[in-house]
Amino acid sequence: MSVPFAAKRLGKELNKISSSLPPGIELVSADNFEEWLLDIKVLDNNPLYQNQTYRLKFRFSPSYPIEPPEVVFIQLPDRPIPIHPHIYSNGIICLDLLGQQGWSPVQNVESVCMSLQSMLTGNSKNERPPGDEEFVRANTMRPKDIQFYYHDNDV
Amino acid sequence: MPPPPNTPDEGLTEVAYRAPEDDELFRVPSPHPSIAMAEASPNGSCVIKLDYQAIEYVDPVDETLLCPVCKTPFHSPITTPCGHTFCAACINRALETQPTCPIDRQPISRTLDYRRLPLIVKDQLDRLKVKCPNKGCDHQCPREHLEGHYERRCEFSLVRCPDSGCNQLIARRDASPAKGCLHVEVVCEYCDTKTTFAELDGHHNFECDGVLIECPDCRRDVVRHALVEHRTQECLEGQAQCKWHKAGCKVADRRRVVQEHEQSGECSFEVVGRLIEKQAEDRKIINELSERLARVETSQARRRERRMTQLLGRGSFPPMASSSRGVSTSNIPDATLNNNRSLSLDSVDDGATGGSPEDYMLAQFERLETQLELLRKQSLDMDARQSHLILQHATHFSEQLAEIGNKVGIVNMHMSWLMSLQRQQRAGSAAGSSSNAAMSQGSGGSSVRPASSDDSGLQYAGNNRRHSEGRGESLHRL
Repeated sequence: MSVPFAAKRLGKELNKISSSLPPGIELVSADNFEEWLLDIKVLDNNPLYQNQTYRLKFRFSPSYPIEPPEVVFIQLPDRPIPIHPHIYSNGIICLDLLGQQGWSPVQNVESVCMSLQSMLTGNSKNERPPGDEEFVRANTMRPKDIQFYYHDNDV
Repeated sequence: MPPPPNTPDEGLTEVAYRAPEDDELFRVPSPHPSIAMAEASPNGSCVIKLDYQAIEYVDPVDETLLCPVCKTPFHSPITTPCGHTFCAACINRALETQPTCPIDRQPISRTLDYRRLPLIVKDQLDRLKVKCPNKGCDHQCPREHLEGHYERRCEFSLVRCPDSGCNQLIARRDASPAKGCLHVEVVCEYCDTKTTFAELDGHHNFECDGVLIECPDCRRDVVRHALVEHRTQECLEGQAQCKWHKAGCKVADRRRVVQEHEQSGECSFEVVGRLIEKQAEDRKIINELSERLARVETSQARRRERRMTQLLGRGSFPPMASSSRGVSTSNIPDATLNNNRSLSLDSVDDGATGGSPEDYMLAQFERLETQLELLRKQSLDMDARQSHLILQHATHFSEQLAEIGNKVGIVNMHMSWLMSLQRQQRAGSAAGSSSNAAMSQGSGGSSVRPASSDDSGLQYAGNNRRHSEGRGESLHRL
C-alpha cells in the first residue's frame, strides 16, 4: 500500500513517456523505478553531434523528485560520450540543473533530456572540460557528491 | 510515536501548528501505516489511511489541476506567496531540501502562512470521479466522498483482525468476531503457495496462476471461480440467445454471432421487444399510481369519518378510530412495495386522530390563501401606480422638449438675422469702394445707416414670423 513517493511519480512519468516523447528522445528501458535508460539525439545539424545517438542513464533515489536523479552518459560501441566542455569523458555531466541547488521537483525525466539536448545544441567547442583526464582517473565519487562549481553561464 | 527528524512529517506538523484553523487543509495521509495503526481506534475503522496519490481517476484530469511535484491532482492544495499551487505534502517535502519555490525559485519560508486556494478549485477537485483503491471494490464516487467510503464503508478496506492477540489486518467484510482470526496459514490448492485464509480470495483472483482454467468454449484462461459467470455472460464462443428472445426472436448461436446480430440492428423483433419493455415499465408505473390512489382514497375516507365522529361528539367514539385503523391496514394489502410512503401516511394519520393538526393545517392554508390574495392586490396596485408615474413623467418630458424646440428656433432666427446683416454690410462696403468718394462720408453714413436699420427691422419682423412658423412646426413635430 505504501508505495514510495518516487515510484508513484515515476509511474506517472512512465505513462506519459510511453505515449509520447519529444523528437530526438527515446526510452530504451525502464524496467524498474531505480534506473532508466534513454537515448537522445541532437536534432539540428551541429557538426559536433550530427548523426550521433547518446545513451543516458538515470538513477533515481527513493526521494525523487525532491532529490535530483543521477544522470550520466554511458559508453557503448555505438553510443559515444558527447564532446562538450561540461561533460567529462567518463560520462559525468556538470549541469547545475542536476545538482542539489539547481534541481527543482518540478523537473522530470523529459525536461532533463530536453535540457541536455539544448546544452549540446548550443555548444560549438570541440573540447572536454579542463582537467578531464586527471578527473576521470582520480574520481571515485558518485556524480551527486561532486561539488561542481557552476561558473559558465553561456552554455 | 514522533516521526524521526528530517522527515516530511515533521514539516507538516509544524505547518499544521502554525495554521491551526486549517487542519483540514493540511491534514495529509500518513505515509507510514504503522503510525496510522497506532492511532486507529478499535471500532473497525480502516487502519491504512487513504493514499491520495495512488487513487485512480475515472476520467482524464485537466493538467492545470495536477501538482507539479507529484503530477497527481492536488490534494489539500495550498498556494505559495509567489502564487504557485502544490499539494501541502509535496511543497513541504520540497522545502525540506531547498527553501525556494520549485517553479520560480523564489525564496519561501515555511513560517509564512500559505494562501488558501479559491474554493472553486477545491470544488473542482472534490468533484473529480475516482475509483476506490481497494482491490476487488469497483466503487466509483466523487473524490470528496472517497475517504468516507474507504475508511468507513468499503468492505475491502483493511481493518484490525478481530482477534485481539493477532496483530494483522483483514478486509472489513471478513472481520467479524464470529469468524474469528482468519490469519491461519493455508496452502493454495491450485499453485501450492502458502498464504493466509484471509488473503486466499484475493490470491485466487489476482495472483494465483494455477487457479486459471481454460474455458471450454473460447479456449481462454479464466479464473476458476468466475468460469460459470464467464460462460453465461461474457464468453464470446458460448451459446447465447438474442436479448429480444422474449419478443419472439429465434436467434440462438455463439455469443459473438448473437452480439453482432443484436448490434447490427437486423433483429426485427427489437421493435416489439422494446415495446414490450416499455409496456412493462408503464404497467409498473400504473400499478404504483393506482396503489397510491387507493391509499389516498382510504386515508381520505378515514379522515372524513374521523371528522364526522368529531362533529358528533369529540372522542365519544374511541372504538371508531381503532376500527378505522384496522380498515386502513386491510385496505393496503401490498404495503411492502411502497413501504415508506404508506408508513409516513399512517404516521400522519395517527398523529391527526386528535383532529387538531388537521384543523391547524386547514387554518394555515386559508391564512396563506388570504395573504396570497392580498399580495396579488398589492402588486396590481403597484403596477397601476407605476404606469401612472411613467405617464406623468412622459408628459412632463414632452413639454420640456417642446420648449427646447422653441428656444432652438429662436437661436436659429438670430443666427440668420446676423448672417444677413453681415452679408449686407459686406455688400455695402464693396459698393462704397466702387462708387468712389463722391458722397461725403458723414451724409452718406447718416443716409444709409437708418435705411439699413429699417431694413433689418423689417427682416427681423419677417424672421419673427418665420420663427413662429418654425415653432408651430416643431410643436407639430412633437
